Amino acid sequence: MPARDAGMTILPSRSELRPERATAQKTAAAMIEIEGVSQVFQTSTRQEHLALSDISMSVADGAFVSILGPSGCGKSTLLYIVGGFVQPTRGVARMKGRAITGPGPDRGPVFQEFALFPWKSVLGNVMYGPRQQGTKPVEAEAQARALLEMVGLKGFEEFYPKELSGGMKQRVALARTLAYHPEVLLMDEPFGALDAHTRTRLQNDLLNIWERDRKTVLFVTHSVEEAVFLSDKVVMMTRSPGRIRQIVDIDLPRPRRRTELLLDPRYQKYVVEIDRMFDDSGEQPP
Amino acid sequence: MMSADTMLKRAAPVLACIGLLAVWQLASLALHNDSFPTAIEAIRAIPSILSDKDSLVNFGASLRRMAVGFGVAVAVSIPLGLSMGRSRAVASFFNPLLMVIYPVPKAALMPIIMLWLGVGDIAKTLVIFLGVSLPVIYHSFEGAKAVEEKMLWSGAAMGLTAAQRLIRIVLPAALPEILTGCRTGLVLALITMITSEMIARQSGAGNILFNALDMGQYDTVFAMIIIVGAMGICLDALFERIRARLVRWSEPQFDIPLSFS
Repeated sequence: MPARDAGMTILPSRSELRPERATAQKTAAAMIEIEGVSQVFQTSTRQEHLALSDISMSVADGAFVSILGPSGCGKSTLLYIVGGFVQPTRGVARMKGRAITGPGPDRGPVFQEFALFPWKSVLGNVMYGPRQQGTKPVEAEAQARALLEMVGLKGFEEFYPKELSGGMKQRVALARTLAYHPEVLLMDEPFGALDAHTRTRLQNDLLNIWERDRKTVLFVTHSVEEAVFLSDKVVMMTRSPGRIRQIVDIDLPRPRRRTELLLDPRYQKYVVEIDRMFDDSGEQPP
Repeated sequence: MMSADTMLKRAAPVLACIGLLAVWQLASLALHNDSFPTAIEAIRAIPSILSDKDSLVNFGASLRRMAVGFGVAVAVSIPLGLSMGRSRAVASFFNPLLMVIYPVPKAALMPIIMLWLGVGDIAKTLVIFLGVSLPVIYHSFEGAKAVEEKMLWSGAAMGLTAAQRLIRIVLPAALPEILTGCRTGLVLALITMITSEMIARQSGAGNILFNALDMGQYDTVFAMIIIVGAMGICLDALFERIRARLVRWSEPQFDIPLSFS
């Protein structure tokens, strides 16, 4: 156990960690800006439930940002707002300075539930987006085959989703989204439904793929280790109503290798310190 | 080479039919009643019905009405059911209307329909249409309702409009459920076809059957029941084949098929 006061220098002081105001941070490099977003849901008993409260943050172009929080903190809702699938009750989300009003191919979602098209083969799923955007069948197929090889599914092109394991389905889902070249990947607990071993392998592969072209990624998770391992920046959220608690910059070298990182004291400190911050508030580390 | 297992599977429906006919034969011999011919007598009457030009014309008329009624019903009901499943407004508009029509036996509407539209093709086709519509609407509705939201979101992110999502995501995703409704609808089409011809006695397979009954030709009556029954079995088996082909992607690996195909 590291001492409480010694060795915590990697984290900025509390005053530096206050939620960034998008207005103050508006830079040319910001890919996504979220400004004063609140979300109120009607529960089945007709009561109003505040899921998100006054969220402001920005995601820089090419950054890998994780939203970390306990279940029910509204972190997925925040992602859906950026995706344009859910309209915020108050506030605004912007993509490259333009207010988000609906879904679009510039933001590609990957869901925990995979949401593959079960009537399409693996290849058909990956070709779907490019075909919708008018790519010629031959070209779309060649790209899809290349993507499937990249995610490790060569030889499974003609399979139907029901014939695949959970990990393979999520690989297809990732390839399907990458196929239409979104500028931002929106990943909603993508590995949450997978067993520990598969999860680790997919994290490694995602990191390898991401480190090639550094697309902007917004990644929702409740795993501290996953967030630290993958991200440039971790946005910690409080339990409901979801507020930004702290934003932690993860200053670890890339490319990252799991075996090296697990032994790296800096990685360990980030994990322990973030865990501890959840503890301090009486909130279980997710 | 066919294994013993597949051979048994293939033979099972045939064996079931032979068993049924044997029970019939024995029951008829035991009861010894004029209005209950033996299975062999009934089967012997089949060729004369099928070689008679008049009755073939009648069968043709029946099948034509059934095809039109079924086809129109499916063409109208699938889009309606899918829209109801995805739009609360559409559902609440049509729901009361359907709930009123649902429990009413469609054949009971026949007298009114005959009064308005006569005893011809239109009246009978309309009854078939009504009979087929409700199960197809219901299953399309349920199928559309069950489509995973995230699947639609994935489509929306690819740039599919709401109308495109209905046709290219909701329709294929709900297809297994829709086809279950169509299968029920097909059998109902046969039932309403015969019933409508019983009531509006002018032409058709039902007309032959009930004319024979009036004249006490009981072997013809039973022969007609066999023919109509066989027709139903063949249509259902054919449909099941098409259905299985269309939704191969959704079938569980070890399925017990409930059909003759």
